[in-house]
Amino acid sequence: MGHNKHDADVAFIKALAELLRENDLAELQVKRDYGDNDSLNVRVSRYGPAPVQTVHVPVAAPSAAPAAAAPAAQPDLPADPAALPGAVTSPMVGTVYLQAEPGTPAFVSVGDKVAEGDTLLIVEAMKTMNHIPAPRAGIVRRILVEDGAAVEYGSPLMIIE
Amino acid sequence: MSGWPSGYGLRVLDEVDSTLSEAARIAPGLDGPEWILAHRQTAARGRRGRVWAAPEGNLSATLVMRPAGDAGQAALRSFVAALALHDALAAVIGRDVGLALKWPNDVLLNGGKIAGILLESAGAGRGVAHLAIGIGVNLAAAPAPEAVEPGAVRPVSLSGETGIAISPVEFLGHLATAFDHWERQFRAHGFAPVRVGWLGRAARLGEVITARTGTAETTGTFETVDGEGNLVLKTAAGRVSIPAADIYF
Repeated sequence: MGHNKHDADVAFIKALAELLRENDLAELQVKRDYGDNDSLNVRVSRYGPAPVQTVHVPVAAPSAAPAAAAPAAQPDLPADPAALPGAVTSPMVGTVYLQAEPGTPAFVSVGDKVAEGDTLLIVEAMKTMNHIPAPRAGIVRRILVEDGAAVEYGSPLMIIE
Repeated sequence: MSGWPSGYGLRVLDEVDSTLSEAARIAPGLDGPEWILAHRQTAARGRRGRVWAAPEGNLSATLVMRPAGDAGQAALRSFVAALALHDALAAVIGRDVGLALKWPNDVLLNGGKIAGILLESAGAGRGVAHLAIGIGVNLAAAPAPEAVEPGAVRPVSLSGETGIAISPVEFLGHLATAFDHWERQFRAHGFAPVRVGWLGRAARLGEVITARTGTAETTGTFETVDGEGNLVLKTAAGRVSIPAADIYF
């Protein structure tokens, strides 16, 4: 089964839920086309009977993580986390690791102070461990990805302010 | 040595923690690509914290460079390195029978794992600050089968499989020469010739294999490697392309 795509879908849905929260929106609907007869329809809503609905054709619908409608905070943020001035985005498609190796502490945590060039995380593709450095000194405000998550080129990874 | 490619430096160390770590340390002051060879590594590492045994007599080397191009381009050197190592082994053995590649960069001899390649790069946005290609080859000795994870490919050595004895320094001459050849192809023509060369040496093409990531497992027919280097599996649910995973036959 398409586990890899499933992971990407779950990450995508989580990112949408995040957007919803951050922008104090009531509902978001997105259709993602993967190719012929294969698309992902996601509707994320803060209210109503069905908080998250996904339909994946023809792949079976992934049971999406519940997008909890947490109290909204920063309504002034732009819709796309990647467009935030402090956003660090992925330079490649791959798998995210938040620590140097399993069992060791994470490179950074929310609230940490980082210097320019400090490693924030690793994105692996094809047995290449790409260390993502902090583009500038600042504070880690948000970590937008989970350890082991699949990311696309340009996916927002962290917010450093 | 089988000659040494022009434009590449060479630094030979008696002992170091890890040639990959040494690469990261010397990268900022680098004038051009440089091979680092260590006779002994005291803290050799494999992928995601796995132990890599590096006894004296085996090759422990890292090529460190500051390539043009973005991180995705840098990662394609995984295939360049695997091809180079395949061809270096073929040159030393005198034939390529029994040699094959396992996605993305494992080199197999008689179905066993003879080497490990791990790349590290640093940088985001427009380019990478440096790329280090760590290559360990079981020239003289291989770990005992029970020393590797269950389901992993049986470890083998060049000496054990062929009876050939070659020093790490001499072997590195073959490897650096072969790398230079494929690197020139990659720079001049992009990934296409590297991809074709790799697919021509691939193990289990057209057969069912399993790709395992930290969070998922995908089993399907190994169809090809795409233009971005992803492993393409044909599964019951359709085609899946995978950028990072461990492969099980």
